Amino acid sequence: MKLYLYGIIDSSDQVKDSIYGLEGACVYNIPYCDIGAVISECTEPVQNNTKGNVLAHEEVVERLMGHFTVLPVRFHTVFDGRDNLLSMMQSYYKDFRDNLNRLRDKVEFGIKVIWPSDKIKEHITNTYKKNDKKVSVPGNSSNKRFMREKFEKYKLDEEFEKKADKFINVMDMFFSKFAAEKKLKKLKTEDLLLDVVYLVKKDDQDNFREAFEHIKGPHTSFKFLFSGPWPAYNFVILPKNSDLLEDSKQEDLFDKVVQHQELAGAEKI
Amino acid sequence: MHNVVTKSRDVTLLEVLDRVLDKGVVISGDAVISVADVDLIYLGLKVLLSSVETMEKYRGAPITGPMQEPT
Amino acid sequence: MTLNSVIETDFPEEFVEEMEKSQDALPEKIDANPENVEKGLAKLVLTLIELIRKLLEKQAMRRVEADSLSEEEIERVGETLMKLENKMKELKQIFGLKDEELNLNLGPLGDLM
Repeated sequence: MKLYLYGIIDSSDQVKDSIYGLEGACVYNIPYCDIGAVISECTEPVQNNTKGNVLAHEEVVERLMGHFTVLPVRFHTVFDGRDNLLSMMQSYYKDFRDNLNRLRDKVEFGIKVIWPSDKIKEHITNTYKKNDKKVSVPGNSSNKRFMREKFEKYKLDEEFEKKADKFINVMDMFFSKFAAEKKLKKLKTEDLLLDVVYLVKKDDQDNFREAFEHIKGPHTSFKFLFSGPWPAYNFVILPKNSDLLEDSKQEDLFDKVVQHQELAGAEKI
Repeated sequence: MHNVVTKSRDVTLLEVLDRVLDKGVVISGDAVISVADVDLIYLGLKVLLSSVETMEKYRGAPITGPMQEPT
Repeated sequence: MTLNSVIETDFPEEFVEEMEKSQDALPEKIDANPENVEKGLAKLVLTLIELIRKLLEKQAMRRVEADSLSEEEIERVGETLMKLENKMKELKQIFGLKDEELNLNLGPLGDLM
């Protein structure tokens, strides 16, 4: 029987409530020492990979979050049977144990901030024009004009980054008070100033939320997105597996992936 | 074809997908059948999940054990 | 289907747009189609050339800022950089590659450029 894995929990107990997952199957815990793998039985490949399945998966993980510390598992991780699952648990036991200890009673929050990059750049250009009376690169040959334009763009980009850093530092200062860990991406696009996830203690959730409202307040031209509480998706640390596969197997794997892609091609919408 | 997703649910789905597709516990190896990659096609407001390819399990041995020849 | 986690924003469409732009939710697909292999090689080579070109440009800008280039040097550097830029535009056109495509994802280190 194929087993669909939702998460690793810090308990060898049974899951108390009845939780239903993909294909409406009942979700239960397979214990291994003092931890467990929460699964449901499934057909493989999982039929109808849809938004519905993804949300069903997430729902199960969130239900577990209510009672246990969960290491959420990637969508569509399926085992061929109990034996394979248990041998995986054996290989990863220490890593799982460490992560569960580190992530106990903590949740993840995500914040995204959009800022008006056009207006910011306009403001920088106007300030620069007002203050800098000296022409950056004098001369009117096409080469000089080229350099002048390049230089002005260079200065603009530099100031733009500095402004981004300034805002981010202020925001981060507020949030970090209640966060154990964070992962931050600055200027993913020109407009997406900040994309950050914080690991927050469950007890500090309300304080964190308050800090967010505080930051939001004065920045009326910015747009904010707040999400959470999530299980700690972004804070699970596992060693990479690629070095466990020998070279010959990697080629084999590649062939099989290509084969499957060709087969799957027929089913594409 | 799947239902048209309303705008706010798009954001929700994107946030979920961002986490669930390659964060958390990502296990690759012999004993696992997992998503090699998932094709997401955005058609304006529609989010479609199509052609999920799976990597075939091709070894029965556990990850830590010696690799066995297929019988 | 209801999630416990809350996703709150007054601007869902704007965030969808930015997230799609940053292509977060779209993992790269391995495409070993032979027609694409050639294009893939061109992409790699041009990406590296772009990297060097951008580094040279930045270096030149720093020197302009520090006032350490003579007028004649500015003239010559300008001419060289302009020619380089135009050549790159030409090559991108020939291989049908867009600016955004000339980048390398270094995994946890982020993008090259």
